[in-house]
Amino acid sequence: MTVAGGVIGARVSRAEDVRLLTGRAVFIDDLRPPGVLEAAILRSPHPHARIVRLDTTAAAAHPGVFAVVTGADVKSLVRRPQPLIWRLAPGGPETVAYPLAVDKVLYTGHGLAAVAAVDRATAEDALELIDVEYEPLPAVTTLEQALAPDAPRLHEDWPDNVAGRAVVAQGDVEAAFAGADVVLRETFRFARQWGASLETRGVVATWDPFTSHLDAWVNTQSPHLIRELFAEVLGLSVDKVRVRVPDIGGGFGSKSGFYGDQVVAAVLSRVSGRPVKFLEDRRESFVATVHAREQRIDVEVAARTDGTITGLRGTVHGVLGANFSTVGLSPCWTTAAIMTGPYAIPAVELDVVGVVTNKPPYGAYRGYGLPKANFVHEHVVEALARHLGLDPHEVRRRNFVTEFPYQSPVFVYDSGRYAECLDLCRDAVRRAGWADRVARARAEGAHMGIGYAFHNEVSAFAPSRIVNMSGLDHSGFDEAAVRIDSSGRVTVHTGQTSMGQGIHTALAQVAAHALDVPLDHVTVVSGDTDSAPYTGYGTAASRAAAVGGAAVLNAATRLRAKVLRIAAHVFEASPDDLEISDGVVSVKGVPGRSVTLAAIGDAAYRRPHGVLPDDEEPTLHEREVYDPVNVATAFGCTAVLASVDVETGAVELLGYLIAHDCGTMINPMIVEGQLQGGAAQAIGGALYERLAYDASGEALTRSFAEYLLPTAGVVPPFGINHMETPADHIPGGFKGAGEAGVIGGGAAIAHAVEDALAEFGVRITSLPITPPDLLAAIRAGAER
Amino acid sequence: MKAARFDYVRATTVDVAVDALARGAVALAGGQSLVPLLNARSRRPEVVVDVSRLPLTGVEQDGSTLVLGALTRLRAAETSPVVRRAVPLLAEALTHVGHVSVRNRGTVGGSVAHADPAAELPAVFLALDAVFTARGPGGTREVDARDFFLGPYRTALAPDELLTDIRVPLPPPTARHGLAELSRRPNDLAITAVFTSVTLTDRVVTEARIAVAGAAPTPIRAHAAEELLRGQALTPEVLAGVADAAADATDPVDDVHAPAAYRRDMTAVLTRRALRQAVGG
Repeated sequence: MTVAGGVIGARVSRAEDVRLLTGRAVFIDDLRPPGVLEAAILRSPHPHARIVRLDTTAAAAHPGVFAVVTGADVKSLVRRPQPLIWRLAPGGPETVAYPLAVDKVLYTGHGLAAVAAVDRATAEDALELIDVEYEPLPAVTTLEQALAPDAPRLHEDWPDNVAGRAVVAQGDVEAAFAGADVVLRETFRFARQWGASLETRGVVATWDPFTSHLDAWVNTQSPHLIRELFAEVLGLSVDKVRVRVPDIGGGFGSKSGFYGDQVVAAVLSRVSGRPVKFLEDRRESFVATVHAREQRIDVEVAARTDGTITGLRGTVHGVLGANFSTVGLSPCWTTAAIMTGPYAIPAVELDVVGVVTNKPPYGAYRGYGLPKANFVHEHVVEALARHLGLDPHEVRRRNFVTEFPYQSPVFVYDSGRYAECLDLCRDAVRRAGWADRVARARAEGAHMGIGYAFHNEVSAFAPSRIVNMSGLDHSGFDEAAVRIDSSGRVTVHTGQTSMGQGIHTALAQVAAHALDVPLDHVTVVSGDTDSAPYTGYGTAASRAAAVGGAAVLNAATRLRAKVLRIAAHVFEASPDDLEISDGVVSVKGVPGRSVTLAAIGDAAYRRPHGVLPDDEEPTLHEREVYDPVNVATAFGCTAVLASVDVETGAVELLGYLIAHDCGTMINPMIVEGQLQGGAAQAIGGALYERLAYDASGEALTRSFAEYLLPTAGVVPPFGINHMETPADHIPGGFKGAGEAGVIGGGAAIAHAVEDALAEFGVRITSLPITPPDLLAAIRAGAER
Repeated sequence: MKAARFDYVRATTVDVAVDALARGAVALAGGQSLVPLLNARSRRPEVVVDVSRLPLTGVEQDGSTLVLGALTRLRAAETSPVVRRAVPLLAEALTHVGHVSVRNRGTVGGSVAHADPAAELPAVFLALDAVFTARGPGGTREVDARDFFLGPYRTALAPDELLTDIRVPLPPPTARHGLAELSRRPNDLAITAVFTSVTLTDRVVTEARIAVAGAAPTPIRAHAAEELLRGQALTPEVLAGVADAAADATDPVDDVHAPAAYRRDMTAVLTRRALRQAVGG
């Protein structure tokens, strides 16, 4: 089913914004239940050390302290180690990690004890009274150090530091390379980065000592997953865990996992008998929230002289942290799984190797593995074009997937019009006059260039059974309930989480569209596992609008049918002869014969007599569980105009255009917001962000003075051009849009820089591009 | 993190402030550097003396000297017509000091006393031979800018001294200034920045000041480069020699943003740019 016109597709302002912009939102730190304590965690100053002695006596005696726990204490109060929900390397070793370190600390910032006190300052005072003796051990922070034959082992029962291997393969790779006209090789490196939200992660946990219930407020993207994992770890039945979600100040994937500090807060509440709040401060968020992106990728590509890519092989090294995050190796596997991107490459063989290092766990960050995969396949296209003397866009076109559905090495692409999207982007560049601008700049001696990247994105992450078969211990369906109350107003219940992206507005638009009611008659409710419908996985993987939206659409469509049946009874007409407009049901073509949704609501709940048909159940409520048969592939093209100061290596972005297709758009303004936010993070990843470590393993980036996020001053104006190719297997035709903006930005920026520096022959194979590195490349090029 | 416990005293007079400093307090002015350090527990004073309400504010021209009260907010100095007219290099440098919200609270004296080696104002005051007035238990003394900055975050101020004002000799009316700053993002702390003031007579440099921030443990004057410039017309050859001499004056360190060698190289690039801006070429 596809939809056109109406509230779906309307650029309506977000219902969330009034509260957010007037300071009426309630974030995790605004929650102060009576008697609440605040927790602080003692963190290792060493990248790798044995804990020889840990004495908390003085801390426990400090005035204002209610509870102190060590890693061993927490281990004794949980049923199992921290769960890994995605196993991609069956039989491979798994890290055994408890919420706090027990015998060894494995990275700078690794928590080893925690205090709950009357306030955070007192808790931090008490941390200083904990007496720890460490025996420092040699640390490994780079891939090469970790893989060295004599490397110190992080996990002493492992044979080495390899955390798992997986393979992504399709077709006959040997034959492809044996028959290739040309083979190109390259190595790519991506720095460690993370999804830094404006609001840090937090939890307010209340353990009821009489009923053994855990009531936890968590600013999480995955309330149902968190409830399941709390239950597993704490040895509770699921009904004894309630997870509630306040307003969230940004998620970006880093708020989707199940963190040890959430368990620590629950344990501290259990030990102290009081509610306990743990909120990362900004400083510790650099070590307490998952890192991402860091990979080394070696690839070889086989091609024919006409630019047809016939084979791709290589290795994706995931430079993981010391322990697995909730999702383990999966972000790195995803890089390999979608390394062919929008291109029909028939033969593929990619090894995925996860390697542990003395750094914080590696987890989800907007884009998951896709930005790296995109950087590789777009570099390959450009390199091949250069090598063969072809136009890179011709190489793109020659290799685009054109027949759908298309079986890529892992995913089935449902639909797409890639060549049209490329044209849309190039037209936008033409209209913007970039070529003239570049010519003028070059005539004046400046170095300006244009870069492109084409991406596709696996969105609407599902279906449940297939993701289970891929090793995921969680589902991908979405449950929704839609109600009309006795005043005719609509409430949508969803398991999806509102974290600033506008999902409540989007789902309200879907329901309003399906029911033909005014948008402001719809309220969306979410955020409490005691009452919210179930969502598999959570608000992640670009699935909320597509999968959650389809669930709401189906439920609302059924509810509409019930409304029409009741109205048909009133009018003694056929439902087929009725229409709903603006919340009023009327007989088509018969002015004056109408009944409001309020009247139908009243009959459904309070005064059924004479209105509700005898065979119709009271209430107006429909529930839907929607599990798509496939993912939905969105796609887009990014073009960047950049200039480079060849004396300093500084890059300035002057223009940024995106052509994008996420199927049926529910609200183009929200889609644009998603694309712009993602693009800003792509800019950060391409030019600024790097979690750096020195040779001994010490973390060099501990604040936003060292870890540079893109500021308003470095983000250029965006121009966005939409096209819509509906997902024909998803009700409404929706595809995901949440991660699109971040995927192609890095490659497009790199290509713009390469174009600007064409005279120096600079090639960008690692991110971020920093001025000192780029200057060195320019100088090397000038000497050649 | 939350600051370790400290007592808070609001100084009502300079004497009260100095008395508190003599008993081990640290001075809080605009708080833009101190408060983050307190929160990180990098500084753990027993007492913080809030000097922000002392009447040490304002900008005035006193004959051939610009006098800035130490507690003048950065934004007030930046937007002062007196500063813009009398010492335009200072006015322009102020636009690079943090973001507007930081400049609204931060003070001129605070920036000087904090003595971040990459900060703009210490380098500008060094370029212009400013004189700092300090008040301690024994009275008032003056310290020349060249004697003031001792190392990263270290100055000639004794722990019991409060910076009260900054006196900047006005450059001659014919002086022209140039400023070139390299930072990763607009209004970040500089990776390296160069500040110049040049006086020309018939296209020949008669007086030159070149100061560099972010390329040594303190802001530095490139005296050898200045000497090369005096008596010369600014030809490309002279400019290249001066730029190299400025780079030779640096003593940079590696950090997460740039290696030392890059900062040294950028000193040469930025010196050329700042001098070109100064002479309008």
